[in-house]
Amino acid sequence: MIVVMTHRAGEAEINEVLKRLERCGFRIHLSQGVERTIIGAIGDKTRLGDQALEAMPGVEKVVPILQPYKLASRTFKEDDTEIEVGNLTIGGSTLHVMAGPCAVESREQLLEAAFKVKEAGATILRGGAYKPRTSPYSFQGLEERGLEMLAEARELTGLYIVTEVMDSRTLPLVTKYADILQIGTRNMQNFYLLKEVASAGKPVLLKRGQSATIEEWLMAAEYIMAGGNHQIILCERGIRSFDGYTRNTLDLTAVPILKHLTHLPVIVDPSHAIGKWRYVPSMARAAVAAGADGLLIEVHPNPVEALCDGPQSLTPENFQLMMEELKQFAALLKREL
Amino acid sequence: MSSYKLVSRKYKKEDTVIRIGSFLTGGGYFSVTAGPCAVEGQKQMIDLAVTLKGMGVHMLRGGAYKPRTSPYSFQGLGEEGLIILAEARERTGLPFITEVTDIREMGIVARYADVIQIGSRNMQNFALLREAGKLTKPVMLKRGFSATLEEWLLAAEYIAAEGNQNIILCERGIRTFESYTRNTLDISAIPALRELSHLPVVADPSHGTGKRSLVAPVTRAALAAGADGVMLEVHQDPPAALSDGNQSLYPAELSVLMDEIKVLARALGKRPASKPSSGNLNLRVCGK
Repeated sequence: MIVVMTHRAGEAEINEVLKRLERCGFRIHLSQGVERTIIGAIGDKTRLGDQALEAMPGVEKVVPILQPYKLASRTFKEDDTEIEVGNLTIGGSTLHVMAGPCAVESREQLLEAAFKVKEAGATILRGGAYKPRTSPYSFQGLEERGLEMLAEARELTGLYIVTEVMDSRTLPLVTKYADILQIGTRNMQNFYLLKEVASAGKPVLLKRGQSATIEEWLMAAEYIMAGGNHQIILCERGIRSFDGYTRNTLDLTAVPILKHLTHLPVIVDPSHAIGKWRYVPSMARAAVAAGADGLLIEVHPNPVEALCDGPQSLTPENFQLMMEELKQFAALLKREL
Repeated sequence: MSSYKLVSRKYKKEDTVIRIGSFLTGGGYFSVTAGPCAVEGQKQMIDLAVTLKGMGVHMLRGGAYKPRTSPYSFQGLGEEGLIILAEARERTGLPFITEVTDIREMGIVARYADVIQIGSRNMQNFALLREAGKLTKPVMLKRGFSATLEEWLLAAEYIAAEGNQNIILCERGIRTFESYTRNTLDISAIPALRELSHLPVVADPSHGTGKRSLVAPVTRAALAAGADGVMLEVHQDPPAALSDGNQSLYPAELSVLMDEIKVLARALGKRPASKPSSGNLNLRVCGK
């Protein structure tokens, strides 16, 4: 629920309300605006007993949060959530581009990709060490060796690392190396993993499920937030539909919808959405136009030889071109890259 | 992408028949699994199990670890739920199936359950699939919300590749644009899978429709389409159920349906699951 304090409510009155809520076991978010103070509170209303909050001095009204997701809802927290990753801020006015190969295939491949994407303006390196492959006979990733290579790339380029964690057993290891933990599409409702990642202490990139509704997606974020980790970046990566020409169907409406419903930052992965590199740059621009806080783009030094997702990977040259156009485009929208 | 091999009909022409306790599933044997969505309490569960046994149900279902869309919903009784299901088995002789949602629960669930269920949302939880592959007990693999048949069979391949070929595929409806039903039960998946794979195929008309009134007709359809069994949600008081009340049958409704199933099964030449005939069955014997 939201406790809206009156214009005239002073610090003492606000503190009394906070104390009461905390004593009754509520989780609080305090929003002190210029005009008024709003307190987001999540907890068991029955613990308040018969002492109505509305009756407390300084309280104007108490409004229930109608959506099933509470902590993730913009009713609970009006201001945008900004996520610090090292010296980067994701969700602020600066757009961040995360780029790199689908999978870490070798030291040389990764370092070449890292240097090239850094040069083009990416701030975060992506690369999978644990790969979720549809077939058990496909390349499954280099695992810890892959994580070590990502760490070396970070050392040499200054790029931060985002990489996927696939299960609770490898979570501690991946957490050691990653700056951002990615929860993949197929794990969006792996509830046990969501609960575990809540205590990992690092920001989480939560990809939308292949056929997840907006509400299911926000409830998945709610699992993580209810567990104590509010550092979540949502990533639209296309949803499953009937046309096989594209790998998925990029749902750009998700961007303004999420910016309205939640305070969490939203980025877009056009590479997985489309599955064809040729259309990635235009969709990247569209994502920025729609209001996305960043992009996740697959780049491979030699897509023809990629062990996974070659057809959707940009060459370093095409990525450079895309970034140049994007910088100009973003400036029109008063955002920087 | 490499295709599935071990689960393919090209690799093994004969139907796989799996023994669970004293009954068989697959290869012309038709079985019924029934029970509540979630184990809610001991007396409730045991009373219901006794009733179901009396109706001729072959296996009990009940969730101890529930995959809830909301973190604020009832998450299941955990190990206490498994203990209750084991007690119900003790009392009635009914084996039971229950879902495992994480690799670290696999050990404890496998200790109690006769069949381990991998839920829809975990169909491509590859770590979980591999773990299930290391068991000797049967695994029921539910189709993902939007999984193609190929993705589903490749998920089964993950399990088989680790050494466990006791896999039962369960069609539980796929996600479409129609919201009158909770999901759209893909009836054609049943004969399609029988062409593509030797594994037993069952249907879950409860999740497949989401509406109590549609469960019986869809059950009959699944049987007619060639399914090796159905899994049905039943609750003594569906409006009071902690989950999935809308799709749960009343025991009296299940009783009527069981009679219809017996008649239909005979007409279709299906063999009752608990009376295996002698002869050459390519049986996978497992578990207790």
